[in-house]
Amino acid sequence: MASLFPRRLLGRRNRATQTERVRERKHEGFLRYANFRWAKISGGLCLLVITSYALIDVTPRPNGGSWYGYTLGTIGALLILWLTALGYRKRKMTRDAWSLKAWTSAHVYLGLSLVVIGTWHTGFQLGWNVHTLAWALMMLVILSGLYGVIVYATLPAALSNNRDEMTQMQMLEAIRAFDRQLHAAAQPLSPEDTAPVLASLDEDPFAGGIRARLTGRYPKDATAAALRALSLAHGGNADARQKVIGLLSQKEAALARLRAHLRIRAMLEIWLYVHVPLTFALIAALSAHIISVFFYW
Amino acid sequence: MSFILRRISTTKTGKQIVRDQPLPGASITLGRDGGNTIHVADLAVNPQHATISSADGRHVRVQASEGLGFDLNGRTLDIADIDSAAGAELRFGGHRLTIAREGENIILLVERIDELSQSSKDVDEARAFSLAAVMPGRRMGAWAFALVVLFAFLVGPIWAWHSYRSVDVRPQGYHADKAWLSGPLSSAHASLKNDCQACHVDAFVAVTDKACVGCHTGEHKAMSASHADASTAMLLAARHPPGVGEKVLAGFAKAFNKPQGRCVECHTEHEGAGPMPLTPQKFCADCHDGMASRLKAAGFKVDVADAGDFGTAHPEFRPLVRAAPGAKPARAMPGTGPLVDYDGLKFPHDVHLAANGGVARMAASFRGQYDFGKKLECQNCHRPDADGVRIKPVVMERDCAMCHSLAFETVGGVTRTLRHGEPDQVVADLYAYYRSTPPSRPLQLGGMERRRPGQYAEGQLYNIYFREVAVRPNRAADAVRAVFSKGGACYDCHTIFAPASGNNWRVMAVNQTPRYLEKGWFDHDAHKATKCADCHTAAPGSKAASDLLVPGLRQCRDCHVGEGGARLVKVETATESPCAMCHEYHSDGGKPWMPARQRKVNSAAITHKPLAAIYDVSLITGTEGRGLYDVTWRTPSLHGARRGG
Repeated sequence: MASLFPRRLLGRRNRATQTERVRERKHEGFLRYANFRWAKISGGLCLLVITSYALIDVTPRPNGGSWYGYTLGTIGALLILWLTALGYRKRKMTRDAWSLKAWTSAHVYLGLSLVVIGTWHTGFQLGWNVHTLAWALMMLVILSGLYGVIVYATLPAALSNNRDEMTQMQMLEAIRAFDRQLHAAAQPLSPEDTAPVLASLDEDPFAGGIRARLTGRYPKDATAAALRALSLAHGGNADARQKVIGLLSQKEAALARLRAHLRIRAMLEIWLYVHVPLTFALIAALSAHIISVFFYW
Repeated sequence: MSFILRRISTTKTGKQIVRDQPLPGASITLGRDGGNTIHVADLAVNPQHATISSADGRHVRVQASEGLGFDLNGRTLDIADIDSAAGAELRFGGHRLTIAREGENIILLVERIDELSQSSKDVDEARAFSLAAVMPGRRMGAWAFALVVLFAFLVGPIWAWHSYRSVDVRPQGYHADKAWLSGPLSSAHASLKNDCQACHVDAFVAVTDKACVGCHTGEHKAMSASHADASTAMLLAARHPPGVGEKVLAGFAKAFNKPQGRCVECHTEHEGAGPMPLTPQKFCADCHDGMASRLKAAGFKVDVADAGDFGTAHPEFRPLVRAAPGAKPARAMPGTGPLVDYDGLKFPHDVHLAANGGVARMAASFRGQYDFGKKLECQNCHRPDADGVRIKPVVMERDCAMCHSLAFETVGGVTRTLRHGEPDQVVADLYAYYRSTPPSRPLQLGGMERRRPGQYAEGQLYNIYFREVAVRPNRAADAVRAVFSKGGACYDCHTIFAPASGNNWRVMAVNQTPRYLEKGWFDHDAHKATKCADCHTAAPGSKAASDLLVPGLRQCRDCHVGEGGARLVKVETATESPCAMCHEYHSDGGKPWMPARQRKVNSAAITHKPLAAIYDVSLITGTEGRGLYDVTWRTPSLHGARRGG
């Protein structure tokens, strides 16, 4: 074995693994990865671009067609393609030095540096054309990504608090249990009283569009309506009704927990619906931008 | 006949257990209430929902009560007659009632077919809890967006280009390749904004000079004469060694087929609406900054000094001067003592511009007659051209004769003057004058008084007079000599050559240089708010006409700095001056082109300068001192022919 793996190499490998273990033990996230290594690199890159832009005298006026503009444009375009490759990389599980965490950290910080690289590439000449479209799409993608980073950093705590040590399926199972109990408890009720209960049972806990998911507001909620209707009802089997009302309010609480969970998850996911499709729109606009420049050279 | 209620339950292992229960009577009830024969625990079923009866043991009548019906073959009914031999499936809420016949018995099979509640349905956890359930897929969005962008901004423009390939002028309207416009066109080319192909003729071929000279014929066709004469090798040797940036650019240019040295390299487009920007200094300085040493190293003859920036690196002006009386005009070599220019005249500027003294007093005495102030000012004698760019050469009759009169006789109120510029005529006129006019007759010789002898004696009046009459024609020679000699009218201003063998009196030719700076363009009109003496600083103190009063680089640099603001001296109000402000590339000697908005001179700051000591005319004439251009044109005592009459 010793001949196959020289000691030196093994030692290095062990050290790298050791560092990785420490990182995992400390729950070091992608933002703090390697003591903000990529934040420093990206910040340095931005600083380099801004200072060199100020120092280099591009004639007649700064624009994307100067040598400096070409340089920034090339760096920016390659960076965009590399950043897009995260979608590919994250599907390939590895544990070596280029861990997904490192990759994500670089993705976030280098992506942010693209604000400077891309904007300074324009030379601050913007207009209603494909070139500015590419820039605007890039900015939208970066802003959505920035939102994603922020919610990833802040919302999981809220998600965990709301969950109260239940799994998603346990939340759903609670509702199912209340539904079964409701169904049994409502048997003695009159047909007028059973109708709202039935509506509550027929309601899909996952119903509601993107709006309801993001706001957490369900104005046509059948369980709340049933609760209101039964509280106002008279006659019939009052004991059975009271039991049903109790179950309905319990079901409503369980629903509220599920919906809060769905809302936080929606806020955690919604940015990807901007980030990913617009990335591809950006790559299309970028291709059109580059081809157009050389087409009408 | 009897009804048999069949129930099927499924064990955990999936095995079905069938239990049959005979139901008594020919009529049975179905409902949620426990008292029904068939009890269906379903909230969607009424407590007393329906009655099932059979009169003949074969046909079954199902009748709903309490208004809530049942479904049969997709239709909601309140009553139905069913042949049990044929069988039927009825639906009560979430349950199915199957009616069938086995032997003599009618079998009623009741099963729950719907889930108890919606939440009880199976869900795909990964999907149901995420946004994927309520949003269109990201992949689809990505494709849709990308395709829309590609069609609108790549396929569309290429199609537009393709469809007008063989068309000279595109029709008006929107063309998809407008989306590629990288910036507004300059005002001169604004009409081409719909027609990209007017310049971008072929795909992936950089704009060629051919596209430019298609419209721009004439001077735009060629490089300047001095550059056209230079060989390509010389032009290449003149270029400064490329820096990192230029290497990058050259790399791009080479890799993507962008030849260098085209019109558009200097005349950049898509830089914003308004006039095309002035060609920046860099395009000149790329070669001219430090060019001499590079050319010398490459073995070429160098006759152009280095110039990199007007504020810091520009050679001293080399005005066109005559270095000696009668010499040919040549560009001066600065640095070899004070510059002189012999134009053949004698003219002390200091005497004429002095605030007091004979000249000032004479000017003051003419104040009503000419537009003089209390003393002479530059504009009293120097006149601008029609376009205001240059100052006209001085014309004696117009610009000097107000004071320097050549009058010699008055006939009937008309003043006769000697002809300026024609010495032979002057001589002839004087001879004619002395020949044709007697000396003025003494008063004693007039009247009817008797004349007595003795009055003709030597030394007496008659004797003197008639002797004078006899010799008067001979006096002309003296008068001619006096005019051409020291103290005479001609000698004051001109260099005179006395008559020599075969020659009469001669006056040295006067050559006033109309344009001193031939390589650069100076526009007096652009500086009209400035006082003459602000730049021509040497004028008020100049004692001799041979002093060259053309301002040097130093005076210009009082206001003009390099394109980027570079300067060697302290400048209060800087005017950034790229090469093209004074130097015209295409036609040497022509007026350099400059966009209108840049042509405006920030001269207010210059004119608002604190009044500058002794040169300031306005100290004497008052604050409303006349500018060069405020002069009321007086009627000059011009020669008749020159007046156009």
